[in-house]
Amino acid sequence: MPDHAGAPAQQGWIDVKRGQVSREVFVSDQIYRLEVERIFDRTWVFLAHESEIPAAGDYVTRMLGSAPVIVTRDKDGVLHALLNSCRHRGTKLCRAESGNVRHFVCPYHGWSYERNGALITTAFDRHFPEGTDFTLLGLIRVPRVESYKGLIFGCWHPDIVALPDYIGDFRWYLDAFFARSPQGMEVLAPPHRMRAAANWKLGALNFIGDSQHVLTTHVGPTTLDPLRSAQAGLFTPGKDSVQLITDEGHGCTLTYFNEGLPETVTQSHPRDLELLFEQTLEPRQCALLRRLRVAVGNVFPNFSFIESLVGPAQRAIIIRLWQPVSGTEMEILSWILVEREADAAYKARALRIGARTFGIAGVFEQDDLTIWASATAASDNRIAQQHAYGFQTSLPYRDTPLTDYNGPGRAFRPVTTEVVQFEFMRHWDRVMKSNV
Amino acid sequence: MNDRPAASAVSADVYGIVQRFVYREAALLDRRDYRAWLRLLTDDITYRVMAQTTRDAADAAREYAIIDEDAAGLRLRVEQIATPRLTHAENPPSLTRRFVSNLIVETAAGPDEFLIEANLLVYRSRVGVPEGGLYSGERRDVLRRVAGELRLAHRLVRLDQTVIYGGPVSILF
Repeated sequence: MPDHAGAPAQQGWIDVKRGQVSREVFVSDQIYRLEVERIFDRTWVFLAHESEIPAAGDYVTRMLGSAPVIVTRDKDGVLHALLNSCRHRGTKLCRAESGNVRHFVCPYHGWSYERNGALITTAFDRHFPEGTDFTLLGLIRVPRVESYKGLIFGCWHPDIVALPDYIGDFRWYLDAFFARSPQGMEVLAPPHRMRAAANWKLGALNFIGDSQHVLTTHVGPTTLDPLRSAQAGLFTPGKDSVQLITDEGHGCTLTYFNEGLPETVTQSHPRDLELLFEQTLEPRQCALLRRLRVAVGNVFPNFSFIESLVGPAQRAIIIRLWQPVSGTEMEILSWILVEREADAAYKARALRIGARTFGIAGVFEQDDLTIWASATAASDNRIAQQHAYGFQTSLPYRDTPLTDYNGPGRAFRPVTTEVVQFEFMRHWDRVMKSNV
Repeated sequence: MNDRPAASAVSADVYGIVQRFVYREAALLDRRDYRAWLRLLTDDITYRVMAQTTRDAADAAREYAIIDEDAAGLRLRVEQIATPRLTHAENPPSLTRRFVSNLIVETAAGPDEFLIEANLLVYRSRVGVPEGGLYSGERRDVLRRVAGELRLAHRLVRLDQTVIYGGPVSILF
């Protein structure tokens, strides 16, 4: 039994043999604080998409772990992430969510900084002791900021591996969704932002591959779907559907249309975009995108994406950040992305349909969030925490990854088991115990 | 020259008719009589609900649509939240109360269209949020007279929120 008075029972979080995870992991504020120390302050965390800050001086303000940061671009196009707190007395330099600046000027006593964080002047330099090294008084820089195919990540830990190595084998999949046309993707609007009374890992688990919830949680939109997908068998995963996870803990679930459906239904992307994919990706990645009904994925820890069936030859990619606030609360940021080369009408539909399905008022999202909050509320007590969450349907499958799968990662079939979700939790457990 | 006549205030009679429509429409949503509510819409309705982003006072506002629907999309949303077995977010249903005030009514493109500006306050209590919460916003509607009856032809709601609290948005505004 977990010890509620003291430190969390660190050894008992995951029961590998039984395929279970302690409920405490999904509600405890102590574990949340450990996650901040051992995960969010130590590893690469998604900050922004490059298209949000295209010009010199553009900035957005975000959270990196538990700390507020400014993500910006200098006159040479170089990306920076800076602690959003004046070096003098802590005031926020930027209080808006987005904007454009020439310099960062503190509203309190007038300290000013370059866009790369270097101090310009304290306004009272003359009163400082002689010999003061003002180069040491710039804004606190996030020591590691890198962009992978437009996706900007930051890390508070200076010694982390380079971002491409961190993403590792999963690059092959990220490329297929975020770098599949010569000009890449763009964000179409500011992110939706919402508070949710649920643990952040419920979002990550759902997006790495929860194929069991689709027809029950989403009984509304799957029944009412104007394409009549359920009736047409569109929600029965094709046999080639696959869930996979890489050694770095990143994973996805690729669900294909069932065999025998007409091409008018299974044409996931418009032909003109497919031609761009063929110019940009390797043939195996193009094949991955063909006949795709829905793809969900997660880059450890809390960056998720979904490309979903929204209509023949019409797609929108939605990216998600599950920003933890406490053991039982998160802030969700949700962006809608589309290929830059797509025409204006396609982009407008993507924006509208993205909001309709997986926006914060989306017909899918509203039921997910309702259910995650109810799971969190019902698990936040001593009695419930004597009983673990179940991932038992991972057990019969997890030791038999596919031997003939033509892509990176350990891949599993069918998609309607909890293998990749449980492997995500095992990865979380390893990181929590190793980053001590 | 503007090809639309300048908007001008309407007579007290017309104001009263529009006000009755606005109150009745709000009552239908409060009572969750969504199917009756759908009958108040024109076939070509555009319906958008926007949230805001926090911006420097000197910068242009930026907002984003959390709902952006046409008539078909609204019918699907309504079918979902009005059918108990098809919704978790609205089952048990939210308890809501809409307060529409500061109503300004002006003539629009022709004698059969009216521009409305109003303030909107929606109280909502739902499962998991029994203490309830508020959505505040501005409404900009266009009403059109169709076969002698007023219909909602366009709605733009600008919520005074940058981060949505109180659970997922599964109600209409």
